[in-house]
Amino acid sequence: MNSSKKVIFIFLIFFNGVINSESTLIQNVTIYDGKNNDAFIGNVLIEDNKISRVSTSNLRGDLVIDATGKILTPGIIPTDTDIGIVEIGALSVTRDDSSDLYQIGFSIYDAFNPNSVLIPWNRSNGITSTLTLPQNTDSPIGGLGSFFVLDSNIEISGSKDIVMIGRVGGSGGKSRAETFSIIEDLLELASSLDSRDMETYKEIAELIDDSPIAETMELHPRDLQALYKLVNDDLPLIIDANRASDLLKLIEIKRKYDLNLIIMGAQEAGLVANQIAENDIPLIINPINNIPESFDELAANIELAAKLEKLGITIMFNAPRSHNFHLVRQGAGVAVANGMSYAGAIKALTLSPVEVFNLGDRGQIAQGKIADLIIWDADPLEPSSMPEKVFINGKDVDLTSRMTRLTDRYTKNKEKPNGYRN
Amino acid sequence: MTKLIKYYFLIFACFIQAEPFQSTYEPLPAENILIRNANIYDGEGNEFIETDLLIQNRKIVAIGKDLPSTNDFKVIDASDKWVTPGIIDIHSHMGVYPAPGVSTSSDGNEATSPVTADVWAEHSIWVQDPQYALALKGGVTAFHILPGSANLIGGRGVTVKNLQRNTINSMKFPDAPHSLKMACGENPKRVYGNRQQAPSTRMGNAAGYRKSWIQAEAYLNRLNEYESKSDDAKEMGYAPQRDLEMETLAGVLKGEILVHNHCYRAEEMATMINIANEFNYKITAFHHGVEAYKIADLLAENNICGALWADWWGFKHEAYDMVQANIAIVDQALGGKGCAIVHSDDAIGIQHLNQEASKALSAGLRAGFDITKARAMNWITSNPAKAAGIYDQTGSLKVGKNADVVIWSKNPFSVYALVEKVFIDGATAYDKESDFQPASDFDVGIISPNKNRIEE
Repeated sequence: MNSSKKVIFIFLIFFNGVINSESTLIQNVTIYDGKNNDAFIGNVLIEDNKISRVSTSNLRGDLVIDATGKILTPGIIPTDTDIGIVEIGALSVTRDDSSDLYQIGFSIYDAFNPNSVLIPWNRSNGITSTLTLPQNTDSPIGGLGSFFVLDSNIEISGSKDIVMIGRVGGSGGKSRAETFSIIEDLLELASSLDSRDMETYKEIAELIDDSPIAETMELHPRDLQALYKLVNDDLPLIIDANRASDLLKLIEIKRKYDLNLIIMGAQEAGLVANQIAENDIPLIINPINNIPESFDELAANIELAAKLEKLGITIMFNAPRSHNFHLVRQGAGVAVANGMSYAGAIKALTLSPVEVFNLGDRGQIAQGKIADLIIWDADPLEPSSMPEKVFINGKDVDLTSRMTRLTDRYTKNKEKPNGYRN
Repeated sequence: MTKLIKYYFLIFACFIQAEPFQSTYEPLPAENILIRNANIYDGEGNEFIETDLLIQNRKIVAIGKDLPSTNDFKVIDASDKWVTPGIIDIHSHMGVYPAPGVSTSSDGNEATSPVTADVWAEHSIWVQDPQYALALKGGVTAFHILPGSANLIGGRGVTVKNLQRNTINSMKFPDAPHSLKMACGENPKRVYGNRQQAPSTRMGNAAGYRKSWIQAEAYLNRLNEYESKSDDAKEMGYAPQRDLEMETLAGVLKGEILVHNHCYRAEEMATMINIANEFNYKITAFHHGVEAYKIADLLAENNICGALWADWWGFKHEAYDMVQANIAIVDQALGGKGCAIVHSDDAIGIQHLNQEASKALSAGLRAGFDITKARAMNWITSNPAKAAGIYDQTGSLKVGKNADVVIWSKNPFSVYALVEKVFIDGATAYDKESDFQPASDFDVGIISPNKNRIEE
């Protein structure tokens, strides 16, 4: 060990209070591996940032955590959040989720705030990474979401602009037929793009001038670059849509332009479930939402998740409730209470987002995968349960949050005025 | 002749003094029921294992082991199941913000003036809101509908039975007191401040409430002065003209109308308590109260309930300091003298108040409190019943009370617990097993003509 390493080593002892072990063994734990398999009791070895072994036979590790009777799952990955880009909903100065200028190529990546108080809170509830999405833009397709690992390093770790969003449905003032026409016009334009004509902004600006739809919408070169990625790089496209007829039209568009389409909301998916299954379209649904909130969502039904699962449709969950994106767990529990399989619900929270959005070696408890893991104090789909330990990139992360600090402030050492408590 | 005039005057006086918009509620047909061998949370903080519950003539008549019954009773075997009182939500906007959420029936905020004590939420209710039936499947047997929070004083709330009917009167909970919605903080000052009118600040809010109460005191004095006159003197003069706004506020000062106060920040709740003391009225409950935990003892000392979410936060600055133990801390104030309520304010949340209570309870246990599930059940049953002023009729499984009862498939603090049966006044309102469930007119034939909405 050279001297600089020694300094780091001592630093770790003093300031983290934890010695960086060579390996961590989670022993005798009930494993839901995220891959739709039944649970089994086994041992999981973490080395560096990876899961190096998963076995039902005994393993050896430097640090051993006996998790007898506890449940281990992959870290939860919500697919529809504004974590890192919205601090306080009603305070526009804390919001970085919209653009006045860019419609299709708007990226939120550089706005991500690793110090947001949402991160420790959601992490302490089992969220280890997130797909963060902007608000819908003026264009029916447009706005780019990014993937972020919630490790709280001040340097952002994630993948930039890995998904485009969009929305169709009832809106005041204009027909959804117009929306579909705009989408098709944009996709026609996208299909005609050739990277050789897009090497400079000047070239792209000429393409915009030549395209009626691009000109009418006052698109910018960034917008066209994003459109190009959509049809040429198989960029996932999440369209928020609910009405059964809209879902069918989206399926038609997907087939015509060979899009990597994911439908979000999908409240009336139950009416066209066979078509969704046949076309292999993953869905992001909120299984607890059975409110016919609009005339597009009349068929909203608490049994939707179970019905879709039976047809083999890939499901992911969202939770619209502001700031508590971990409530996908409660939604998943409600889905299971209403007929979905337990392992299927766990997969919807973990591996499915990874497979659909190509998030790398996460979302699953298997040898070689990145060690984003949760040891739960009880059934993770019970909203009353909480993680006992959260590992992100193999590191046992501190579960303190502003909420736990405030709780301590008002339940401990109350003899001091609150300003002088910890 | 004079006698005749006097006679007519008396009839007229009686007429104007009769409570308008009275409940015409009639329960569904009921049977006498013996629920056998159930695990019971009674809403009074007690848990009974493998115990019977007897319902006769729409009332709870006995709770105990191996109760005798006759052929007149329908017996329901509830082995391994759980029984609770009907769930009550103290904060709902169903009916005034119905689904679908369209502008033409968005009737919850009369946001045209910061004080609209004259408006009544019950006059906005859309009785065909499809959300009632969804809440019923979450075990909700009664709920309190409030105006929104745009105004300092937003108008009267109303408590209803969760039985969808064709008129509002026929849903109203008999003998439930009226309530008054007040709101602190960001909402009123944002709504009116954006229009360059008062209030645009929190101090403007406080001035607004106080000005209204000063008017109400003067109105009440005039009324009392008139009432204290002899009959002959009354005949000589004129009765003070009715004033809808002042009638509501005077009703609060007389202790007849219960104040439900939307308020997030601790110091604002404390200010509202000061104002209540200044004008000698009582605040029944603070709603939302994300910071209630900071002044839990003050709430308990003043006998004010905290009607709270388990975990909502962050959507505005005054909701930033959320702790999930909020409800438990309020409950445990002054050694357990606090009044905690889990409310929904949400058409999804109202269907899962048991789960919301479960989250709040587990956060309380993590914070080191010793709270039983049986006590936490009070947060969604007896405590909201008290805050709605209907505790003498419902909210717990006490002998003599209305038989508002829910049978759950599992322990209701589990996410997997489903409501199997709901009884309102001893009558089956929902039965999962036989698929007996209401559908509002809105639900009929709306997606395909031969089906109801929920069957799709």
